[in-house]
Amino acid sequence: MLHSLLFPYRARYVGWLIFLPAAVLGIATMADDFEFDWLTFMFPKSSFLTDPDTIFAKGKPVEGFYWVNFTNELAALGIIVSLFLVSFSRERVEDEMIGRMRLEALQWSVVVNYIILAVLILVSHGFGFFYILAHNMFTLLLVFIARMRWLMYKNTHQPLETLAL
Amino acid sequence: MKNRLKVQRAEHNFSQAELAEKISVSRQTINSIETGRYIPSTVLALKLAQIFGVRVEEVFQLEEED
Repeated sequence: MLHSLLFPYRARYVGWLIFLPAAVLGIATMADDFEFDWLTFMFPKSSFLTDPDTIFAKGKPVEGFYWVNFTNELAALGIIVSLFLVSFSRERVEDEMIGRMRLEALQWSVVVNYIILAVLILVSHGFGFFYILAHNMFTLLLVFIARMRWLMYKNTHQPLETLAL
Repeated sequence: MKNRLKVQRAEHNFSQAELAEKISVSRQTINSIETGRYIPSTVLALKLAQIFGVRVEEVFQLEEED
């Protein structure tokens, strides 16, 4: 993995700082339809940004315009950006073995992610599948982070007898 | 692939941490190479040989199954 594509070491902390409020906001928007009023914008119906007849359009009807609230977009982007920062920030010593562990964790996470997705495709139908796809935006990175942290833990906690000076 | 890294390191009186610092890797990487859990790249193998002032074959050797 190219080191130049990695964020600085401290970016992971920024990532977790963004992730926590973004995840809470995401849960609030999905569970309780929470929305920030100041994130509601009006678009002309000719806009290519989204379908004017979408079920998510809200607000007072104005001829030729429709309303879109960007709270869930903010939460989704916050989660994606934060998980990227956590996933792809350097380790303290970023060497070739860490690079190989990254590649292994990435491969592992892709395989696990698609196994989970394949199972859920078989068992979920209709609108429930939309939620699965929505969560699937994040699971790849979440599984990658979990796998990478586990590999790093194993790497730094090698048996004492092998850590001869 | 087997290696004589631990022996070479002992002969040159380097700790794992000192050797790791010389070639800009972590101590865990040196430990993983010594215990055979990680096969280093050609660049890293050549760097290690250079540190010890020997040919790379004196540090790393192929095995039957390689």
